[in-house]
Amino acid sequence: MNELREKVKKALANRRVSWALTHFADNYVIAREKAYAGKDFATLRQKVAQIKEETIARLEELAEQFTREATRRGAVVYRAASAEEARAYIADLARAKGIETVVKSKSMATEELHLNRYLQQQGLEVVETDLGEWIIQLSGQRPSHLVMPAIHLSRQEVAEIFREKLGVEVEPDIGRMVKLARRELRKKFLGAWMGISGANLAVAETGTLVILTNEGNARLTTTLPPVHVVVVGLEKLVPRLVDIVPVLEVLPRSATAQILTSYVTLITGSVPAVDPEGNYLPQKELHIILLDNGRTRMAADPVFREALKCIRCAACLNVCPVYQQLGGTFGAVYTGGIGVILTAFFTGFEEAAQLQELCLGCQRCREYCSANIDLPGLIEELRRRVVAKKGVGPAARVALAGILPRRRLFHTFLRTAARLQAPWVKEGKLCRLPFFPELTEGRALPPLSLVPFRDRTARLPRPQSPRGKVLFFSGCLIDYVFPRIGEAVDRVLAAMGWELVHPKGQGCCGFPVWQAGLPGTFARLAQQNLAALAEIEAEAVITACPTCTVALKYLYPEVLKGDAKWAELARVLAEKVTDFSSFVWERREEILPILAPIRERITYHDSCHLKYTLRADRAPRELLLAGGAELKEMAPPELCCGFGGSFTLKFPELSRAILKRKLQAIEGSGAETVALDCPGCLWQIGSVFSGKAKHTAEILAESLKYPLAL
Amino acid sequence: MAEREELISAFSAQARLLGAEVYRASSPGEARALVKEIIESTGVRRVALASSPLLASLDLIPVIEAAGAELVKGSLREQAETAEMGITAFELAVAETGTLVHDATELDTRLFSMLPLVHLALVPVRGLVANLEEALNYWLTRGEIPGYLAFVSGPSRTADIERVLTVGVHGPGRLLIVLLGEEEVCSHE
Repeated sequence: MNELREKVKKALANRRVSWALTHFADNYVIAREKAYAGKDFATLRQKVAQIKEETIARLEELAEQFTREATRRGAVVYRAASAEEARAYIADLARAKGIETVVKSKSMATEELHLNRYLQQQGLEVVETDLGEWIIQLSGQRPSHLVMPAIHLSRQEVAEIFREKLGVEVEPDIGRMVKLARRELRKKFLGAWMGISGANLAVAETGTLVILTNEGNARLTTTLPPVHVVVVGLEKLVPRLVDIVPVLEVLPRSATAQILTSYVTLITGSVPAVDPEGNYLPQKELHIILLDNGRTRMAADPVFREALKCIRCAACLNVCPVYQQLGGTFGAVYTGGIGVILTAFFTGFEEAAQLQELCLGCQRCREYCSANIDLPGLIEELRRRVVAKKGVGPAARVALAGILPRRRLFHTFLRTAARLQAPWVKEGKLCRLPFFPELTEGRALPPLSLVPFRDRTARLPRPQSPRGKVLFFSGCLIDYVFPRIGEAVDRVLAAMGWELVHPKGQGCCGFPVWQAGLPGTFARLAQQNLAALAEIEAEAVITACPTCTVALKYLYPEVLKGDAKWAELARVLAEKVTDFSSFVWERREEILPILAPIRERITYHDSCHLKYTLRADRAPRELLLAGGAELKEMAPPELCCGFGGSFTLKFPELSRAILKRKLQAIEGSGAETVALDCPGCLWQIGSVFSGKAKHTAEILAESLKYPLAL
Repeated sequence: MAEREELISAFSAQARLLGAEVYRASSPGEARALVKEIIESTGVRRVALASSPLLASLDLIPVIEAAGAELVKGSLREQAETAEMGITAFELAVAETGTLVHDATELDTRLFSMLPLVHLALVPVRGLVANLEEALNYWLTRGEIPGYLAFVSGPSRTADIERVLTVGVHGPGRLLIVLLGEEEVCSHE
């Protein structure tokens, strides 16, 4: 764990990486949107997902069909079960033919094999020909991005690499350096006896390989050398030739915001070639290595088979707030969230077990996935399996499995901590905590409240003749840190005529436990909360924390679905659960008449769970606008604040780096107030933002014309 | 016919957006004049000409020479390596994506479209299709798919250094497209 945190710190120290990646990411979202103009992304990715699902279900059958067809057209197909087998096949082939020079076009499958190192050890010259890969190879680094391997290097650094490794003086001018690359690599192409490429797709029906490139290096790699070796993962198979169309429509748009790459090459069997000595070969040698290396095992896994749908567009990396900060450090051969999952099966469970900690759970990647993969769900599952295998670590075991599920103990702990924190509270803010110094460094966190929300409910306003009764599930942060949000919720609802009841038996919603990979403990917490909420008949269960809402609405029914005693209760209750802003917006005729104009310039912060899981990001905006607020959207609008619950404790430096970007966006909007619907985001953003940070409920409560007396 | 015109203008717009230069010739005579003009204006001296029925019918060798350039000689590799411009024919043009498609199984077609820095591509307007699916169906209905089917959209490009778009990295830095219109009468296809 500490080792990973050290790696993170080291990666964060390289500002160049995060500068390049965040800069790219911001442009990417806009350019991608443009590239999809006139296309329905939802339908397209559903098509891709369907095709890939068929592939996964018929993997072996399609592999056999592909082998038959490609063989019939003159290719040699080799089924490699492991990386070792694939490497050995290529090395043996080179040896048998006396080949010494190899050119390669970019291929993640060969990265997975660590093929270059292996072939070089066998005495072969292996040259990467994709410009980015070549630069990476020259510099002895590791690709930092699936699609743009050298995105982290500046032109000056590239010029330096050329100077040092090629002995050529070149100005740090991109046009000149590209010309130099063309000249140097052309020599390699013309002298090579073997070309190695990957493939983006392999069509079973026709035995066709499909390769997408922009530079044209794959065309030269597959044309000039008299021997062509293709390494392609089994999951790249598709049943029919027409199946490549949806992938061709999605892959370039999602990868680089292009309508299509400059070149799409369909190779079916053996074609003519001229070797470097000028001899014409009517049929060059085409060797296709169908690589398993964990893929069949993955296809047999009821959960992780979904990851085989990935078409490697890297959209999930581009939009990932963690990846934007860390680059290749978040991952192994394959990077980002999807990289963690693939690593678990292709290269090493242990490595993936550690890396999965870096996912902060913002869910944004799921929105952009070209194959509709529930990547956050897969990472959660991986985390559960890691925890089932290795446990959660002593501190987390005490806090999450020992204290949190015991409500009275947990609440006594919080009350005691609220009293003990006094020496570190200055002007209502927590400073320089002794246990987590990184957490408080340079910012002012809100302390625990001396009087939690649950002790304040007796004095809350109540309508004279209520329209009905609603339950309030406060969650720990509102109960013990931000009771003022609970009070605001109550005042707004009371003014609308609703009686708010806060059942005392409720405790933590359990999300931190779920997030930590402890579904059993989570189920126990779910049962406790369900029991507390079921005691009182009410029209709705209101939450003012999107994470609690997600737990109550989606996770409780999920985790209890096989439980005869609790499943039905969880289902019934889930239907009643709604977030505060959605509840109020649905009944806006009850509030708008009693609202004085909100005279504030407000920017709205999208909380990840509210936006990506509850899809309730419109309601608070509509409320604020209808209330008269001037709404200034920030650019880019959808950045995570970096809180992520326990994530901020595990990786405080990383959390802060993500927060910094959020802060820039908020400040850039020119708004005096940032509104949000999540106490977690408030905890995070409020600690650094010099303006006002408020929950939507607070803004509404402040604007009530006739606030009921507290 | 109106539909074809729409496809032509959609293709031309998209191909230009990708950095290709698009020209139109409505007769073989116009095409020959256009090729001569293009060779002269690009200033290339050494030209490689692929073999294809379309190109053969245009009888381009005298045109190349008249433009002050020469046809490269030697083995296919030598020709491709020394040529400053490669001339090849394409069967299809995809309107939606601005893409040219050809069967590049024959080595000269492949090498001449890949190696020289300037690529002159000739495609008949009857080869215009609306989208990628129609393009694939064209090959599927003709029997076996060719050994090397190439889709070309604009010049060779990279953005690998600082995300700055640069053309001509491994393949052609310039792609010039001539759309060949036919005389109205030959509509038996």
